[in-house]
Amino acid sequence: MDGVWVFIGADSVIFAILFLSFMQDRLKNPALFEASRHALNMNLGGVDTLILLTSSWSVALAVQAMKRDQIDREPRLLLGGAVTGLLFMVSKSVEYFQKFAHGITPGTNPFYMWYFTLTGIHLVHVVAGTSLLTYLCVRSRRGTYDHLHRAVPESVASFWHLVDLLWVVLFPLLYLMKAA
Amino acid sequence: MATHAEPTTYTPARDLSPYPTDYRTWKILAWTGPVFLFAVFVLWGIVARNMPPFPPSATPDEVKAHFQEFRLPLLIALSICITMTAFYMSFSVAVARVMERIEGSGGLLSKIEMMGGTITCAPVMVTLAIWLTAAHEAQYLPASVMHMLYWMGWLLFDLAYFVTSLQIAAVSIVFMRDKREKKLVPNAVSWWGWVTFASFFAVSAIPFLTTGPLAFNGVISFWIAFFTWFFWIPSLSYFIIKAVDRIKAEDEAAARINA
Amino acid sequence: MSVLRERVTWVWLGLMALTCVTTWGLSKELFSPTVAVVGIFLIAAVKVRYVMLDFMELRQAPLPVRAAFEVWPAVVAAVILGFWFATPAIM
Repeated sequence: MDGVWVFIGADSVIFAILFLSFMQDRLKNPALFEASRHALNMNLGGVDTLILLTSSWSVALAVQAMKRDQIDREPRLLLGGAVTGLLFMVSKSVEYFQKFAHGITPGTNPFYMWYFTLTGIHLVHVVAGTSLLTYLCVRSRRGTYDHLHRAVPESVASFWHLVDLLWVVLFPLLYLMKAA
Repeated sequence: MATHAEPTTYTPARDLSPYPTDYRTWKILAWTGPVFLFAVFVLWGIVARNMPPFPPSATPDEVKAHFQEFRLPLLIALSICITMTAFYMSFSVAVARVMERIEGSGGLLSKIEMMGGTITCAPVMVTLAIWLTAAHEAQYLPASVMHMLYWMGWLLFDLAYFVTSLQIAAVSIVFMRDKREKKLVPNAVSWWGWVTFASFFAVSAIPFLTTGPLAFNGVISFWIAFFTWFFWIPSLSYFIIKAVDRIKAEDEAAARINA
Repeated sequence: MSVLRERVTWVWLGLMALTCVTTWGLSKELFSPTVAVVGIFLIAAVKVRYVMLDFMELRQAPLPVRAAFEVWPAVVAAVILGFWFATPAIM
């Protein structure tokens, strides 16, 4: 499905614009952004990165299995992708809950507005991707996908890798970027 | 470009109307899409000072001052723009007829598209009329009412987005289902439609914020949401205009075969 | 396990290791902000590139597509670091 690359490309460019916009706002108030950053849970964020990388790995192996007609391997690899996606969602929910419990909301200050907006939009992508992976997993159990029938799974996989790489940038941008 | 009959593996849905198809009018209607965009971009966007919009964080006094300062350009730009908004409806009709050639004349999605595009005109026209009224009457109105009119416009203009979303979704679905070897509308445009569709949802945040990327003047709710749509209109229009010629060629080829 | 011989597995291990370096290494106090931030974002750009080339399989893509995508991590890192250097230090 060639057209999906238009979607992936547009999504990447849109996030790049958001990163730029974030840095612009940070330029106006570096002290506030630095102080607010300290309340973020860096360890959880790092673990989230490990989770998504593992998820991408599992999905990449699933696509490889399709290319090699190893139909019986597909379901558990796709399930691995979906379960790790779910794990990310749980982790994010815990993180958001921790923030709310400390009285931190999107309205608290511009840094938190960006934190919740960027991770929130990313989370919507994670939910969408996990749902699609679940759907693929179910269909793969019926032997639907092989080297001749893999356009849809490959498109979903490419989208999922996008979700992964966006987090690879988002995590240091929000959690690790210390002020000069 | 087909100058002979399409391969026999694919038979396009035939226009069964007893009246000859008016391809010329069809093409003119397809052109009204870019005309609409031009009007909105130049009149609403530039002359009426909406790119970027006057901030949601503005106080009632600031809003009143803004409308008084730009009274004349607002009166001119908004009034003409209300009239020209109708072109989005005419464009939608042209698109629907092309969709019917894929879906068949009884298809649901072409109806959704036409309704979606037509109804989109309503919040646009009403909003422009609200802001036109604000500019017209600013000298007599208290700042609080001016603030209300400003917000009323944005809330209506933005939050009615899903009518347009459904139009865009219908277009993407039908054109992705086109079985022609070279689709009437390429997949890239359909996928851009999905990008636009997705970008609109963020706009639902506008009642809750006055600053930041999700406010009605923010990078997400304004720049991304509007410009994805602004890019969709001319890119779709280009292929719709070309599609009319291609359909005409298909019809003529079919007429020769069936003669 | 045969999966250990796959290229994607080695890429995955590399990415996991780099993640640990940036999250629990470079972010520590013993590195100056400049070293930490530049290091972290250069590593992030490299990670993105490998996800694109080996997970998304852009190595096999037509050159213009591959080039367009590879430009993204470079531009993103450049813009972010550019702004970072332009942002005044805090006391």
